[in-house]
Amino acid sequence: MEEEDWEASSSSETEEAGFAADDDEEFNAGPKLQFRIGSSKARWVTELGMAEVEVKRGKLWTTTGIIRSGKTYCFIEEALYLSEIGELQILGDDDAVIPLKGLYEMIAEEKSGCCWESYEVYRYLKGLGYILGRHGVPWTSKGAEIMTPSGEEEDSVTKLLGDMQLCDARAVFDVYLPNSRFKKSSPGEPSFVACLSGDSPPSKEDVRVLQSRIDAPLRFCHISQGRVSFFSFSSIDLSVLP
Amino acid sequence: MAPRWKWKGAEAKALAEPISKSVSELQLSLAKTSGSLSSCNVLLAVEPEQAELLDRCCFGRLVLSAEKVKKWIQLSFEEAFYLFYILKCIKLTLQGRCLENEVDTWMYMRSKRPNFPVFFKAYSHLRSKNWVLRSGLQYGVDFVAYRHHPSLVHSEYSVLVQSGDSDRLRVWSDVHCAVRLSGSVAKTLLTLHVSGNSNREDLNLPTCLENYRVEEQTISRWSPELSREDDETTSPKPKVTNVSNLKTP
Repeated sequence: MEEEDWEASSSSETEEAGFAADDDEEFNAGPKLQFRIGSSKARWVTELGMAEVEVKRGKLWTTTGIIRSGKTYCFIEEALYLSEIGELQILGDDDAVIPLKGLYEMIAEEKSGCCWESYEVYRYLKGLGYILGRHGVPWTSKGAEIMTPSGEEEDSVTKLLGDMQLCDARAVFDVYLPNSRFKKSSPGEPSFVACLSGDSPPSKEDVRVLQSRIDAPLRFCHISQGRVSFFSFSSIDLSVLP
Repeated sequence: MAPRWKWKGAEAKALAEPISKSVSELQLSLAKTSGSLSSCNVLLAVEPEQAELLDRCCFGRLVLSAEKVKKWIQLSFEEAFYLFYILKCIKLTLQGRCLENEVDTWMYMRSKRPNFPVFFKAYSHLRSKNWVLRSGLQYGVDFVAYRHHPSLVHSEYSVLVQSGDSDRLRVWSDVHCAVRLSGSVAKTLLTLHVSGNSNREDLNLPTCLENYRVEEQTISRWSPELSREDDETTSPKPKVTNVSNLKTP
């Protein structure tokens, strides 16, 4: 368990209005349990494949996590990123904090909708201040329409799987420009949708199929040895010149 | 990218002398001049005025020689077949014998260059839209496309020809390479996907060109570091947060 006292990351330190300062004090509840000052807490829910946020610290939650029935949930990539930068502790079933090693193993299992390459894209763009959401997953639910996060998650995962069968390339994240006034209730259109095409560049047909389903510009990510590059493959029609 | 005109009056000059007009004049002027096939080239002997028109439309390269009366021009297969088959303003001979039949010329060129049909389709696709095409070898591509004469404007596109069974840009490093090369010479990478004619038999006739379809696609790289400005907010760019930024005790 990390004993270090992470100093403030560059994201905002101020608490969101409405969150009391109750959890400010540091205390040891046992050898495995440590609460850091300024650290949010979430509990991993295996059935959902997501973590339910229990304690929120900082403005980062305006651009992270989805809201369902008044609660905030985050995906594995969000949980891992926030854990890496010391902003979040994920608790397991036994109330113990899941260490980074455990979170990396969960990514490797590829059961929570995010593989290592997707995570590299997420981490890289988040670090630059972009706002990312999983493609096809709304930031908020509207009243009783959506039942449970898992129900919705299954739909989008099933849909993603279905899409994958028709096409080797897939849309992974909706990416928004850095925006301090971002609202989950009205995020607007993403600046682009980040896509993965696997080991090879996307075929012309794959690009066409994906673009026919998605209104936003597409950018295909190539991840190799920790470097992420983004390419656009755009259909054009050169004008007839005089 | 906007066209980069080479000097102050260049754009106006281009507008005043559209390529289509120069091509029409060339067509009339050549009036079935004879060119001779030699391996993968065609040699054309022309009058100085015709040489000037060929240059204005960017067909061929001048072969420097001491000959005073005529000028010798060297054409690539694409250029020669375009003048012969599309503009119908030159004739072609092979070893002294005139090739009247389009099919004979087509078969000869195909025998020298198996990918000629696809390359020619790509070439004529852009040429017929009045774009000027020259060899792209210096830039590691098939062609470079100019909006007008190279003396007036820089080329905007570096062009790669792709067909169904081609091996171009099949791995990511190829894409990185081609895009980087293009960018370093201020051009946008343009791929021309030529499809159709899956039946090999049809390729024996130049009419197979009508069965081809050409789709244009640009490939460009996006840099997230440079694109973070959000016009809607006035707040400064958020500081970069990554694991390496954090202090470790």
